[in-house]
Amino acid sequence: MKASSGIKCFLVVAVIAIVTAVVIAGFNVPGISFKMERAYDQIRYGIDIRGGVSAVLTAPEGVEPTDDQLDTVKGIIDKRLEAKQVYDKNVNVDRVNKRVLVEIPYKKDATSLNPYETMADLGAMAMLSFREVDEDKIDPETGAYVMTDRIVVQGSEIVEARAETNPQTGMPYVRLIFSDEGAKKFEEATGRLIGKRIAIYLDDYMINAPIVNQQITGKDNAVIELGVYERNQAMKEAKELAAVISAGALPFNLEAKDINAISPIIGESALTISVIAGIVALILIWLFMIMFYRLPGFISCISLLGQMTGLILVIALTGMSLTLPGIAGIILTIGMSVDANVIIFERIKEELRNGKTVQSSVDSGFKSALTAVFDGNITTLITAAVLYFIGTGAVQSFAFTLGIGIILNFLTAVYATRIMLNTVSQIQGLRKPWLFGAKGGAANV
Amino acid sequence: MFDFVGKKKYTMLLSGLIILAGIIAMIVRGGLNLDVQFRGGTRIEIEMENGDFDADKAGSVASDAIGKTIHGQKSSTLDANQDNKNVDFLVLTSSGKLSEEERDTVIEAIKGQFSIKEGGQMQVRDVDPSIGKELKNRGLLAVFVAAIMLLIYVWIRFNIMSGLLAGLTAVIALIHDIAVMVSVYAIFNIPVNESFIAAVLTILGYSINDTIVIYDRIRENSRFSRKDTIDGLVNKSITQSMSRTINTTVTTVLSVLTIFLFAVYNGIGSIQEFTFPILIGLIAGTYSSIFIASPLWVALRQREANKKAGAKPAKA
Repeated sequence: MKASSGIKCFLVVAVIAIVTAVVIAGFNVPGISFKMERAYDQIRYGIDIRGGVSAVLTAPEGVEPTDDQLDTVKGIIDKRLEAKQVYDKNVNVDRVNKRVLVEIPYKKDATSLNPYETMADLGAMAMLSFREVDEDKIDPETGAYVMTDRIVVQGSEIVEARAETNPQTGMPYVRLIFSDEGAKKFEEATGRLIGKRIAIYLDDYMINAPIVNQQITGKDNAVIELGVYERNQAMKEAKELAAVISAGALPFNLEAKDINAISPIIGESALTISVIAGIVALILIWLFMIMFYRLPGFISCISLLGQMTGLILVIALTGMSLTLPGIAGIILTIGMSVDANVIIFERIKEELRNGKTVQSSVDSGFKSALTAVFDGNITTLITAAVLYFIGTGAVQSFAFTLGIGIILNFLTAVYATRIMLNTVSQIQGLRKPWLFGAKGGAANV
Repeated sequence: MFDFVGKKKYTMLLSGLIILAGIIAMIVRGGLNLDVQFRGGTRIEIEMENGDFDADKAGSVASDAIGKTIHGQKSSTLDANQDNKNVDFLVLTSSGKLSEEERDTVIEAIKGQFSIKEGGQMQVRDVDPSIGKELKNRGLLAVFVAAIMLLIYVWIRFNIMSGLLAGLTAVIALIHDIAVMVSVYAIFNIPVNESFIAAVLTILGYSINDTIVIYDRIRENSRFSRKDTIDGLVNKSITQSMSRTINTTVTTVLSVLTIFLFAVYNGIGSIQEFTFPILIGLIAGTYSSIFIASPLWVALRQREANKKAGAKPAKA
């Protein structure tokens, strides 16, 4: 009994130590392919923390965009941002409200930033062109072919592009439908360029460069096969490519209904302050718990550390963006975590005052405190769930951290604390009511 | 033992006065001071060369440029990542949403007369009134649905306390906390924005927990000591939970206050905006758990009991 609880206690401490180490230092063990940077660098931060622009884009009043059109807009915005080497963006389609939500983080060394210009750029018309390229001229920075002025066809000469599936192989491809003029130009060029590449550009950004296999005649015989062998991935890419080609220009004008731009200076300061203040707050709570509850207080400090680092690890691994309200959620769960332990330790004190032994006080203290802790946490979990499903962006981030934090609470504040405290209360020298914060009372050991 | 239940007249009066002051403030000012994101409008913050400029003058320059009222304000932040270097902003707020041309005209006008920092950052919040309204409604809906769910949960779990009544008083305590938070914002005319909604939600989760711990004691005690009067039972339960209530509040206030003070020192508005209402809510939440929820439950319970006692002989 004693040995097994000792092992359990050791395991709990070891797990908390490992999680803490991973969060602070990262995970990089030779021989294991899973690698992780330290959580501080790994977490995706919301625009309000890292700085950047977020915007809600809609169609002008009176225009009701279809889902396909919204997807097209997303595809085009994605491509335009990638063309500017902004890869860490977030573009989402809200089908219910017919909107596109864009989040563009600022780079740390960005020069003068006018968020209105950024938005205007996104909404601008883009020009689609198919061009001949010299295969030995490659832009070293982007890996794309250098754009030439030998245009094969232009966006206006393409009527439509469709994602279709080859009935024999099941592999998706994109079919191009040309205008009369476009078909003539394409026939001439493909006849001349067999075995060479024709690159497709959106403005000056290359989106694809298929090889010409044969001369293509007629308006609807040109297909672009994708060099992807995984079917779902290929279908997704085919759809995206078709969307971009058939609507080189946006299907409707974009109107920004809500622009929120945060300077990276403010954002990063907010993050630094939150981290420093969070550490100071943690230390204050630790001191308070140790002063008030002594030995159990010390044990709750270990649990609290486990809860916090566990939460940070989950946030880092799920890639959920952490916003300022999200940090509020973390603070609340810390409060709840400490609360669970306070409830339990107060109960233990009461039992000790009633003259019970340390070991049985710990036992019955946990038992009688459990319903309060359970109900308290479940109600908070309910709040978190409601907010997650009803709330929008920032509120969702709050609900997410709160919900995960509450689940971790059960594991750390209740389960881990119990295991550790059980073990400690079996050690002869530590079975002193004084160490459990009880004043006076008969010391029945 | 302090008579929490007997003193409920006074404790409820205190809450009532704060909320009344809030209501009066709202009537006088014609509602809450809604921030740009809820009201719709444009706020532009331009990074300046230094803090040595006249914000009021900037406001009137901007107003003259487009013929709309624009309010100018100063704001400064310490850059925590650059040895706390001072960063100064000129904040221009317009009550209506500015059109593209209006915006550009304003920025040009300011550039002409004030020294804007070369390569500086611009912060913008530009919201269409329709979106603002929607954000507000979604927030309110979330609060409403959460309150209903909590009511149902308490109803089921606290059967022994005549569940529905217990759920009702717990939710009344929640509404009290939110009312106090709103009142403080109304009295001091602090702009209400998304951070405030997030704070309200935080308190929703925290305060219900507080109330439930006391309820749990009442539930437990009423199993063991059926002889106690309801007053005595509730007073005893509140007293037994007191050190827990205080210690939890102290630790939570400690952590939130730490973050608030750091934010004030560094001038990080966004963090102040959500820690301040949380602080108010924490205090209101603890207060309502002790002085509102359980005493109110006693009062309603006794009324119900009296009704039953009065009704029975009539039926017989």
